[in-house]
Formats: sequence, C-alpha cells, structure tokens
Amino acid sequence: MFGYIRVDKNELLVREYEAYKSVYCGLCKRMGREYSFLSRFLLSYDCTFYAVFLMALKRSCEGFHGGRCRFNPLKKCTYCACGDDALSKAAAVNVTLAYYKLIDDISDSGFLKRAALKAVKPFLSRFRKKAARRFPYIDKLAEKMLNSQLKAEKNPDCNLDMAAEPTAEFLAALLECEGSGNLSRVYRQTGYGLGRFIYLIDAADDLEKDIKKGNFNPFIPYGENRLEIMKNNLSSALSMTFDAYNLLDITDFKGVLDNVILRGLPTVQSEILKKYEVKNEESV
Amino acid sequence: MKNPYEVLGVSPSASESEIKAAYRALAKKYHPDKYTDSPLADVAEEKMKEINEAYDEIMNSKKSGSSYSSAGSYGTASSEYYQVRVLIQQNRLDEAERILDSETGPDHKAEWYFLRGMCYFRRGWMQQAAQYFQRANQMEPNNMEYRQALENMTRRQSYGYGGYDMNGSQGECGTCDICTSLMCLNCLCSCCR
Repeated sequence: MFGYIRVDKNELLVREYEAYKSVYCGLCKRMGREYSFLSRFLLSYDCTFYAVFLMALKRSCEGFHGGRCRFNPLKKCTYCACGDDALSKAAAVNVTLAYYKLIDDISDSGFLKRAALKAVKPFLSRFRKKAARRFPYIDKLAEKMLNSQLKAEKNPDCNLDMAAEPTAEFLAALLECEGSGNLSRVYRQTGYGLGRFIYLIDAADDLEKDIKKGNFNPFIPYGENRLEIMKNNLSSALSMTFDAYNLLDITDFKGVLDNVILRGLPTVQSEILKKYEVKNEESV
Repeated sequence: MKNPYEVLGVSPSASESEIKAAYRALAKKYHPDKYTDSPLADVAEEKMKEINEAYDEIMNSKKSGSSYSSAGSYGTASSEYYQVRVLIQQNRLDEAERILDSETGPDHKAEWYFLRGMCYFRRGWMQQAAQYFQRANQMEPNNMEYRQALENMTRRQSYGYGGYDMNGSQGECGTCDICTSLMCLNCLCSCCR
C-alpha cells in the first residue's frame, strides 16, 4: 500500500514542486543518517506527504539548503531544514511500515519469493528496532494495524468497512497525537479518511491479482457492482478527508497539500479505476 | 481573542468589498451545510462563529453594523431514540451503538436503521452507512430526515469537491492532447537538465 499519495506534478507551481522535492530529498538524507544507506531505498512518497503535513501543521520548516544527491553526484538538489522531529518521525514511519509490509508479503508469497524476502528481513528488522526505540508509539500502532488486519480478514463476516478500519485507524491515531482538543479530532478525521482511501485504493488496484490467487479482497463480494462500490467509497473517503483538512489553518506547504488532496488523490483514483471501466465497456 | 483581520485573512487597510469577499469565501468554506452529519460539524461551526464575530467586529468598527448569525441546528424531533440522538450528537458512538444493538429482534423500525447508519457514518464506515440509510428510506420513503441523510451520503459518494470533476475533465478534448504533449516535453526537459 505504498505510493498512492502523490502530487499531481502538472498542477504544481515550480516553487511548490521544489519545496516538495526538498522534503523528499531531506527525508532521504535523514533516513541515511538515522538508519543506514540501505534504508534510503525504502523511501516512499506517502511518508514524504506525512513529513510535509507535519511540517505544515507545526510550521517547522526552517529553510532550504543546497547539496548533491548521494545517488547521482552530478545532480544538485535542495534539502529542507526541519526544526523539529517531523523528518525523524516520517523516517521512522517509513522503515516501520516497510518492515510490516515485508512480514505481510512473506506470509503471502510462494517459496522462491519468500526465500528472497527472508534474506532482506534482518536489515529491515534492525531498522524497525531502531525506529521503535526512538518512537515507541509508531511501532505499537503499526503492529496493532497488522494484527487487526489479519484478524479482520480471517473473520468470515468481514465487510468492506471492517477491512478498511485497521489502516484508517492507524493513520487516524498517528495524526491524532499531533494535537489536542478539537484540533486532534480534526487531525484524526483527516487521517481516518486518508487511511481508508489508501486501503481501498490498494484493494481496488490488487483486485484482479487477489481473485486469481484466491486472496482476501473486500470488493470481491460485490460482483458486477464493483466499480460503483469502489467509486462511491473512494470518493466518500476523500470527501471526509477534504472536509476535515479544510478546517485546518495551513500556511506553509499549502500549495503542495492542496494539490495532493484536491488533485493527486483523485487522479490516482481515476487512474486505477480506469482499468475496470475499460473492461466493462469491452464486456458490453 | 484573535485579531479579526487575521481571522478573515485580510490586511487592516483592506476595503469593505475586500473584507466582504474574504468573509464570503470563508463562510462558504465552513458552511454548516457542507458538514451535515459530520462528526466535525461543531468544529466547523466554531470556525463559522469566529469569522462571523471577526466580520461583525470589523464592520462595527467601520460603523456599519450589519450582523450575521450562524445557522446549523440538528433537528431533534421527539422520538423514542432521543437518548441515542443525544449521544450521537456528542460523538459518544460506542454508547449509542450499545443502546441500539441491545435492541433484539429482526424487525427494527426505520429510525433504528437511520440511527445505526448515522453511527457508522460518523465512524467513517461509509459503505455500511449507505446500506442502513437506504434501508431506512425504503421503510419510510416520506421521511425528510432519512431522505436528507441519504442524499448527503450520495453527494459524498460522487464528490467532485472544490469544483473539480474527477471524471468529466478526461474526455477526448483537444486540450488533453495539449496537456499530454506538454507532459512529454516536460519529461524531455528534465532528461536534458
């Protein structure tokens, strides 16, 4: 479930794109410093969004530095300077989720792939332990998400909302603790909608694969109505996110965040649902 | 209290029409209708109150006292589920659900389905909520409250928020071709850099 929270680059101003890029590069650098060079390969756009969101909420971005990319020394890039632990948190979330995703993949895959994945596990496990020492609550939340996901999928009465709950709850709890009072409720709601969207879009994306392999997928029971159910639930999850997000007073990175929520996510949604729309037309 | 000019996001030297425009834009953003049934309705209402007060204050200080009042009340008709309604209103969903679920028997009233759906809605369980609202509407198609909840739900399901239409803009128009070629051009440019 990585890579669904993206910006719609075509709609960003150049300076907004550069600010976004600098958080991406800043996060990459931070992961290299706090974990290891190898952990940089785990970097995801989703956690970049998380970092941008945190820095926007706390107004902790203190400027940008020039530098060079570690992977391509010819390329110049800018790194954002973060005044609090937003980048560290995003790095911790990134390696922690990568670890739990690996665990999930190991249990899902066949013999050969499993052996390959198991070879990677010690590295990720070390990163995760380090992250858990730094931010114990992140690890706890992620572990809870994995366990309740497994439990939900084993339940024969599992419906779509139950299946989406663990991921939604993870992001809700992750954001909720960043504020207090009403603000924390707004953060929570933003996270819930976003988490629900991520889970459902991932499920929609994997539907064909899951049908073939006989894996669990919340959209399977809906048969012919699938496309409509997908659309309805994805859109309503986004509306929930947007309504909550709208109540926040954001000044820094506003262009980037607006772009992700108003443009990026709907684009991802229509891109993924398109493959089912084409199918429907062919069958008619 | 916050600086009223900051609340509206205008400079203290702004003209009356600028202030009005800023106020209208914000009032639209936080309008209670947008947050019907939402668990964050009270937060939106607070924001609305804040901008109303700010607007009033600025306008009073400019000596043209026009006052706006915030709307948005949740119609609580007398019903046997009064307590459940209050609990839902206060976002105490676990308690509300416990009361609803303690009622046994397969033949529930329409209101039961409506309120159960509202609990799901507030939790963000949109699929379940839609099913329960539909059920309530089938049982009592003439009830305005149930119909509104279902309509609100349907609106969300086809949410083209911010005036952005997710499906419509992707027709086979000429502008899309322009976009695609620009995108390709952009890729080429980043290669050369």
